[in-house]
Amino acid sequence: MRSSTRRTLVISLLGLASCFYLAAADGARWIDFEFPADSPVLVSSFSLGPTRAHVLGSSMALDLHALVVLRNTGTKPIAGLTLRVEAPGLSSAGKGSVTVPSLHAQPGDSFPVHIDMQLRRPFSTAVNSAVLKISLDCALFSDLTAYGPDTLGSHRALMVYELEARRDRQYVAYLLATGQLAELRRELNFGLQDFSPLQLGLALFQDANHRLSYEPAMQIGAFSFPDAPVQAVGGAARVEHNQVNISHIRLFNRSRKTVRSVDMGWIVRDEQGRIFVAGTLPATTQIGPVATATTSEPETMRFSRPGGEPMSIAGLVTFVNAVEFADGKLWIPTRADINAATADPILRRQLAASPEQQRLADIYRKKGLAGLERELYPNKQE
Amino acid sequence: MNGAPMKPGSHPSLQTLALYAGGDLPGFPAFRTRIHVRFCKPCQDEVTRFRLARAELKRATEQELLANCEPITDWKRLEREMTGNITVGLAAARCIERVGRKRMRLLRRAVAAVALIALFVAGWLTHIPAEQNRHLLASLEQIFSGKKRPGFAGTVLETTPDGIAVRTPSASLTILHPPSATISLAGDSSLAASYIDEQTGEVTITNVYAQ
Repeated sequence: MRSSTRRTLVISLLGLASCFYLAAADGARWIDFEFPADSPVLVSSFSLGPTRAHVLGSSMALDLHALVVLRNTGTKPIAGLTLRVEAPGLSSAGKGSVTVPSLHAQPGDSFPVHIDMQLRRPFSTAVNSAVLKISLDCALFSDLTAYGPDTLGSHRALMVYELEARRDRQYVAYLLATGQLAELRRELNFGLQDFSPLQLGLALFQDANHRLSYEPAMQIGAFSFPDAPVQAVGGAARVEHNQVNISHIRLFNRSRKTVRSVDMGWIVRDEQGRIFVAGTLPATTQIGPVATATTSEPETMRFSRPGGEPMSIAGLVTFVNAVEFADGKLWIPTRADINAATADPILRRQLAASPEQQRLADIYRKKGLAGLERELYPNKQE
Repeated sequence: MNGAPMKPGSHPSLQTLALYAGGDLPGFPAFRTRIHVRFCKPCQDEVTRFRLARAELKRATEQELLANCEPITDWKRLEREMTGNITVGLAAARCIERVGRKRMRLLRRAVAAVALIALFVAGWLTHIPAEQNRHLLASLEQIFSGKKRPGFAGTVLETTPDGIAVRTPSASLTILHPPSATISLAGDSSLAASYIDEQTGEVTITNVYAQ
C-alpha cells in the first residue's frame, strides 16, 4: 500500500472515530430539537435505535433511527403535524419532513413519531451542532387553524389531508351505516393484488441543463372532475423515453373566485398501457374569475420501475386535484366527483386513495369491522 | 551450317545457295559460291528467289510480332525482370505458407472465443432476471445512441430501494420507509412516501425537498 493511501486511510479512520466518539459520548449530539416555548407540541422523550456511523468511500455515512414521543401541550385537538428534519452539515443538499396526518391527538395526549434516516456527507464537513435538527413546521388543529412557521408548505398539505380524511371517513361511515358491506370491502380491501397501487420510481432534476428542449412535444391529455372549479384544458410535454419535462398546461378557472394555486394530479401511462398516479405538482399561478392561465414545470421528471429500470412513457394525463382560492379556502374532489370522473375501477381507486383511507384499510385488515366501527364511532356504546 | 562441298564444273546445292542467299556461309565456301553465282545465270536466279522469299518471310514475321506484342529490345532488362518475378513469387509462396498456419491458429482461437461467448450468453439468459436484462439493454442503447441521461450536476430528488433521497454529488439525505410505501410527486421540488407505521398504526408521510 502506498504511503499516501495509508495516510489517507488513517486520517479517515481517525476522523470517523472522532465523529463517532463525539456523537456517542453524548446522546443529545445526534439530535437537536427546536420547539418554541409556546409550541402546542413538545418533545416528551426520545430514544435512538440502532444508530451508527460508517465510512462510505470518501464520505461518512450515518444511519439514524429515532423514536420521538411528542405531547399535545395545547388546548385544541391536533389533526396532524409536520416535523421539519434537517442535517446542518448538509444544508446544500436539502431537507426532509415527517408528516403524521389524521392524528386526532387530544390535549395532553402523547404520540410517537419514527424518524429513520441515512445521511452521507464528506469528512471535511465541519459541524458544530448535532447531526440532525428536528423542529415543528406546522401543526393543524381540528378547527383547521394552524401553528408553525410553515416553511415547507405543510399547512396546505395538512389541510388537504384533513379534508380528504373527513370525506373518506364520512364515506366509509355511510357504507357502514347503510350496510353496504360488499362495497365497503371493495373500498378498503387493498390486500388484493389488482387493487394495490402500482409502484414506480421517481427522480426530479432541478438542473436546467436537463430540460429536453429538442424532443418533439407530446400532447397531454386532461380530464376534470364534474364540480372542479378549475379545469385542465390540455398541454404539451417533452418526453424522452422515461424523462418528462412539462412544457405548458392550460387551465381554466370556471368559478367566480380568484384562484391562488392549483394542485395538478398526474397520471402516467407506460408502453404496456398500465397507468400510474404519479402524484401532484402545484401550479402556483393566480387565475382570475372565469379566466384562463398557462403554467409550466421547470423540473425534469424521470420515471422508473421499483427495480430501477427505466419506464418508457407512452402517455400523460393531468387533472386538477385541489384548488386553493385567494380567500384561503380549499376545494378537493368529492366521492361523487371521483366516481363520475372515470369508469375504470382501478383508476378510480387510485384517485380516491388518501392517507386516511390507507389508515382505515389497515384498521379493517387488522381489526375487522368491529375495529372500524370503534374507529369511526369512538363514543358509541357497545 | 557450311553447305555441301562443290565439285569443279558442277552447281552448288540448293542448301548452299540458300545459306549463301542469307549470308550464313562461312569465308571460303561463301567466296567460291559467290564466284560461281556471278557467272551462272540459273544459280543467280535461284539465289534471287531465296532472297526474295527470305525478305517476304521476315516482313510477315515482323508484322505478326507488331500485332501481338512489343518487340523485345532489351534482353538484359527482360532477364532482370524475370529473375525479380521469380524471387517475388518464391517469397510470396513462403508468406502464404506462414499465413495459412497463422490463419488456422486464429480460426481455432475464434472458435474457442465464440464458444465461450455462447456459454456466457446462455448462462446470462438463464441466470439473470429479464428485468435486469431490459435495464442493461436500455442503458446500452442510451450509450450507443449518444443520448445522455441527466447527470448529477445539481440537486436530485429520487427514490432509492430503501427510501426517498435528496442528494448532491457530495452529500445526501435519505428518509427511509418500508417497502409497502407509496411514492408520489408532492410538489415541484419534493417527493413523498406514504405508509402505515406498523408500530404506531399511524399513516406517516415522509418528504424530501431540494434546497
